Amino acid sequence: MSSIALTALTQKVDSPAEITAAAVRLRQAVAEAEISPNDAINVFDAWASSLDAREFGDAPGIPFLRMWLRRGTLEPIIARELGPNGLHGGWNEYGQAKCKAFPVGVVGHWPAGNVEIQPILSMTCALLGGNAALVRIPSGLVDLTQRLMDKLVESDGEQILTRRIFMAGFDHNRRDLQEAMAQSVDGAMIWGGEEAVLQIRALPFPHWARVSVFGPRMSVAAMDAGAWGNPEQRDAWCLRIARDVWQFDQQACSSPQVLFLEKANGNSTAQFVAALRHAFEAENRAHPRQTIPGALTSAICLARASWLLKDTAHQAFFPQSPDWTLLFGSGSDIPQPTQGKTLTVLEVDDLYEPISNLDGNVQTLGLGIADPEKEKKLALLAGKKGVDRIVKLGRMHVFVPPWDGMDLIRPMVRMVRHVSSSE
Amino acid sequence: MQQFEDKVESLLSMPPYGQPPEEKQAGLLEILKSELDYACQRHEGYRNYVQNWPLDYQSATHVADLPFLPVGLLKADPPLSLVDVGEIKRTLTSSATTSQSPSRVVLDSPTARRMTKGVVTIVRDFIGSERRPYLVVDTPDFRGSSSGMGARGAAIQGLQPFANGITCCLGVDKQGELTLDQDRLKDFAKDREDIEVLVYGFTFILWNHLVKPLMADGVRLNLPKARILHSGGWKRLQDQAVEKNEFNQQLARTFGCSPDRIIDFYGMVETVGVIYPDCSEGNKHGPAFGDVIVRDPLTLQPVAEGEYGIVQVCSVLPTSFPGHLLLTEDRAQVIAYDGCACGRRGISFRFAGRIPKTELRGCGNLQVNRSPVN
Repeated sequence: MSSIALTALTQKVDSPAEITAAAVRLRQAVAEAEISPNDAINVFDAWASSLDAREFGDAPGIPFLRMWLRRGTLEPIIARELGPNGLHGGWNEYGQAKCKAFPVGVVGHWPAGNVEIQPILSMTCALLGGNAALVRIPSGLVDLTQRLMDKLVESDGEQILTRRIFMAGFDHNRRDLQEAMAQSVDGAMIWGGEEAVLQIRALPFPHWARVSVFGPRMSVAAMDAGAWGNPEQRDAWCLRIARDVWQFDQQACSSPQVLFLEKANGNSTAQFVAALRHAFEAENRAHPRQTIPGALTSAICLARASWLLKDTAHQAFFPQSPDWTLLFGSGSDIPQPTQGKTLTVLEVDDLYEPISNLDGNVQTLGLGIADPEKEKKLALLAGKKGVDRIVKLGRMHVFVPPWDGMDLIRPMVRMVRHVSSSE
Repeated sequence: MQQFEDKVESLLSMPPYGQPPEEKQAGLLEILKSELDYACQRHEGYRNYVQNWPLDYQSATHVADLPFLPVGLLKADPPLSLVDVGEIKRTLTSSATTSQSPSRVVLDSPTARRMTKGVVTIVRDFIGSERRPYLVVDTPDFRGSSSGMGARGAAIQGLQPFANGITCCLGVDKQGELTLDQDRLKDFAKDREDIEVLVYGFTFILWNHLVKPLMADGVRLNLPKARILHSGGWKRLQDQAVEKNEFNQQLARTFGCSPDRIIDFYGMVETVGVIYPDCSEGNKHGPAFGDVIVRDPLTLQPVAEGEYGIVQVCSVLPTSFPGHLLLTEDRAQVIAYDGCACGRRGISFRFAGRIPKTELRGCGNLQVNRSPVN
């Protein structure tokens, strides 16, 4: 039995000393007992089973978290990132050399405040690498994170993982606490908007710390006429788009802000846009917004009016409330994102036009393309232009590495190479 | 158009706060619909906006159902206009203290005339109609030019119909800072303890450039019959932690009058001709020729009594720009939809500051025009 006392997993923190002490305990836990990805997955699998849909109600991301934590999801990821023997912490052979993943130590996590399950997702990446996790919980996510962590405690009777976790709740403006956290870690996973990311990157990390940054970016959707013009599949495509827009209130880096529709002779996009409108109405009935900042309402109203005043060829579809908005026009430029379920739908003559204009700001390209050869070419072009994820519409938020062009587990492990001296 | 002018004129001529709410709503609805017709004829972009509005405004039964325009659109350059360039007599510009781009509204002669009448009608209800000496706590330059004017100039000029002489008591020093001309101020106050005088200044200017220097010098004026009006908001006094009550007490002490002779009013250049003074209960009201709707940010429907929301202002006065139905960037609380103890009919409300600045949130908060990678 370990000499380390179990501490509460989620705590409100008010002094740098509390963070420093927690990091010392976590580092000791990593040093005392090695865990393999398989050990972590055993706990995750039990944890996933405990996340009852009824108990967590409509909390965003819970269905996805349940799926993410399953062995069936994680094993292929481990195999790809850590090698075929990585699951059990074994050595992988590469010619005359062998490689094995070792934890970097304590990994600090700075999740974005707009993705409810991100503190958990980020933490699991580090734990799969055998690390300990020191997580700052954004103030708006404390309650949900606490409830999820309570379930982990129940699922991890032997404290295999829970003794490697400390979740700290503190205001993001507490520079002293942010610095203490940065100074205490060996790796960092930083998620969020531009301002947050720049502030955290500027913290005094040790020179050896590995730093992975995710965000800020935006995402784009595109469809060819073969996809949007197929009446049998129209509703299904529209439902997929609506779901991609609805998740995270369109504030995630993987949220589509614009949908490009490639025109086709004799096929009007009007029916597709009408179907999309119905899909938005249905999604809104199923997942109505519970609250909204006044600033977002104001921005949505401004986006609607600006769009329609700017060009008389522009159209828009929206209810009286700020629930959702479809702005319809033509052109291949990406408009300024509004968020808040405001999707700009633009007709283009050829999808190569807008995709040629993409750059590294675009994280995900969600596609609905009927012609596989065309999709290959578009994917190649998008990759060259800086896009890191090209996925089917409806799967834009599916959190599978590589994410932002990076692995999720491997950056926070040391791949130790051993070439035998006897060979 | 003459029929429209007649209707507006009749609203400007009646007591501004005497109509029962239902009666007022019906009258406003009819005029605002005709203004929407007019604006749609004059501006094709605006027509496109109205045509895409989820409800047909012609069949609307409530003012709250009419298509409103976010006030941010009035920051357009060139300004949104419903008249030909040759008809524009003056362009008003907001102070733009909380945003980088000022609003610009264009006035033709009819709109400017209605604007003046609107302000007079409202202010008269609060301070009476007689003319009196007018002390402007600002510089003479801020009275504005004939073609362009800022919010301070518009407010100063709007009160001129109540003046029989104007004194400006601020100057500008070599560093460009406002300075109080105490001699001029004392001259103004001399021998006027028994007569009504009118005083106007922006809230922060009154505090920083009149109250504070006079308090520091231990100077008190003897103007017990002063009516002190101020506007411009409290944002610039927040850093000094100056609350409204303290402001009123110190200002009243400086002038030697009672605090109840101080009236804080809300006005924006975008709501030409309609200002919102505090009543004796500390509430604000909409006049006969305009109204206020406080909308729930979640539904954009009017909030219930006691609740907070985003302020929409309505006015029948402007026809030179589409400013008759404007969603502002301010918050307010509805106190009651009728029955304020001050006796004024219709909605009573209190402003609750600006909506926090709009910004994109989360890991998708990319400004696409900023950081191209490739």
